[in-house]
Amino acid sequence: MSLSSALETLANYRTHNTRASQDIVEKGRLLLKSNVASKMGDDAWAFLEQLALASVDIARYDVADECLRQLLAKFPESPRVDVLSGIRMEATEPPEVVLKFYDQLLEADSSNAAIYKRRISVLVRMGKTEQAVSELCEYLDTFYSDVEGWVELAELYSSCNQYTSALQALSHALLLAPQNPFYVLQFAETAYTAEDIPLAIKMFMLTIDIADRHASEESIPSGASVRAWYGVKLCCRALSERSSLSSPSDTPLPKNLNLLDELATERVLTAYSAATGKGERLDESLC
Amino acid sequence: MSSSAVSLYLDPQIRDWVLFPITLVMILVGILRHYVVLLLQSPPKKLPRAAIREQRALTRSQILRATSSNSSIPPSFYRSISNTLAAAFEAGTYLKDGPPSDDSPSTPPNPMTDPAAMDGMMSGMKTQMVMMVPQMVIMGWINFFFQGFVLIKLPFPLTLGFKSMLQRGIETPDMDVRWVSSLSWYFLNFFGLNGLYRLILGNDNSAADTSQNMMASPFAGAAQPAGPQDYNKLFKAEKDNLAFAEGLYSWMGDDVETRLLRKYGKL
Repeated sequence: MSLSSALETLANYRTHNTRASQDIVEKGRLLLKSNVASKMGDDAWAFLEQLALASVDIARYDVADECLRQLLAKFPESPRVDVLSGIRMEATEPPEVVLKFYDQLLEADSSNAAIYKRRISVLVRMGKTEQAVSELCEYLDTFYSDVEGWVELAELYSSCNQYTSALQALSHALLLAPQNPFYVLQFAETAYTAEDIPLAIKMFMLTIDIADRHASEESIPSGASVRAWYGVKLCCRALSERSSLSSPSDTPLPKNLNLLDELATERVLTAYSAATGKGERLDESLC
Repeated sequence: MSSSAVSLYLDPQIRDWVLFPITLVMILVGILRHYVVLLLQSPPKKLPRAAIREQRALTRSQILRATSSNSSIPPSFYRSISNTLAAAFEAGTYLKDGPPSDDSPSTPPNPMTDPAAMDGMMSGMKTQMVMMVPQMVIMGWINFFFQGFVLIKLPFPLTLGFKSMLQRGIETPDMDVRWVSSLSWYFLNFFGLNGLYRLILGNDNSAADTSQNMMASPFAGAAQPAGPQDYNKLFKAEKDNLAFAEGLYSWMGDDVETRLLRKYGKL
């Protein structure tokens, strides 16, 4: 493969944030050996960062160290390189050492958001969920607009069965990214797990409303909305079986429950018959 | 040239030793200034974490308010977030220096006492000086050596209104407006070289925006762009805004089942 096409693929991975570490390292080592980096100009640094991350990912520490050496020579005090060397340390050093390294960095500069996130991820990996949650809360109190941080917090809470707190964290994520149906779906599923069925069915319907904004009667549900329709179906069944359901969030029950049940059944059937139909066609073409 | 006796004949030495040097010096000084400004620029100061928190606290409630009339989060969650924020604003939890004491006078902070603000002002002044000083020197140079020189003749006729623009420094009532004096040539270059700087130095260079700065007001840039803010006051105002937004609040989920049923033809 020629060098220029390899470069192009790598740039493509970078823009799409693709995690194809094996491929990146194979191509990157070629480029590193032929010393293209010196001719690339400013693009070279992004490439070196990408290669360092990918090679840590597949445990090629020699490549990572070479990249880090070049980056450190160019940017001796860059916070971004600090984060990268922290990641490299996480791969081989014990977590206590890495935590100490991060603490030193934070002491020097208390506004480095990436270091806080690395620190929290190390804590999660060590199993210190409680400390991780409290640090994540503190982090989000300062850097409020980090959607991923809120979702991570919700997942941490869910893993400790703290569903109400998880819902609160998710509601912040919803505020920050109201256009993303997957966060609404996660909210709905968390509410379902917390047995707040009226809230769950509302949020499932909201997911469909957002995800299938341009859908019509004939279109086949796909993606998040299949799961959401199935959720509506489950909620309808739960609501019809149990007459007295408490809702901690005081959400009113939806009207026309029977019609909804019917519609959800129909949509789920449409989705799955279309999927099996496609499968059959695939089988036919294979024969 | 042949038509009349009023026509002047310019010594080619004026072209070689006055016109070209002035133009060249102005271009070179512009480029030099660009690099001096680059050297003078100190890296942006890093804010401590508490200051970032104070600055961004307002965005939290702005995000909440922005969607309140069509919110994606259920009422109980909206209310809990809104109330927490309002209480925090009231108590001053987000303030950099902690909640204020009750008896402290509420004067706006003096920019002279805050070292961070002083630094910002100093760097603004330095840049401004780099802009001003060379221009004054060049103007002095032209005034001293070439005062009253006629440098070029424009190849197109102009009305009399341009006389004060093109013949500054030459007080003659009846010379053709097409002749350009040295001082006017300086001003023409001063305002006209931006395009050239943009070609040579790229789009966001610090040489090109001098004339805009100077035209506006020479020392306006030295003042703080957005003066030091009294966050305590801002937070109090934001609290009222939150209360208004809560009045507007409605949940998207309120009638979502009707919308869905209607969309799929069940109602």
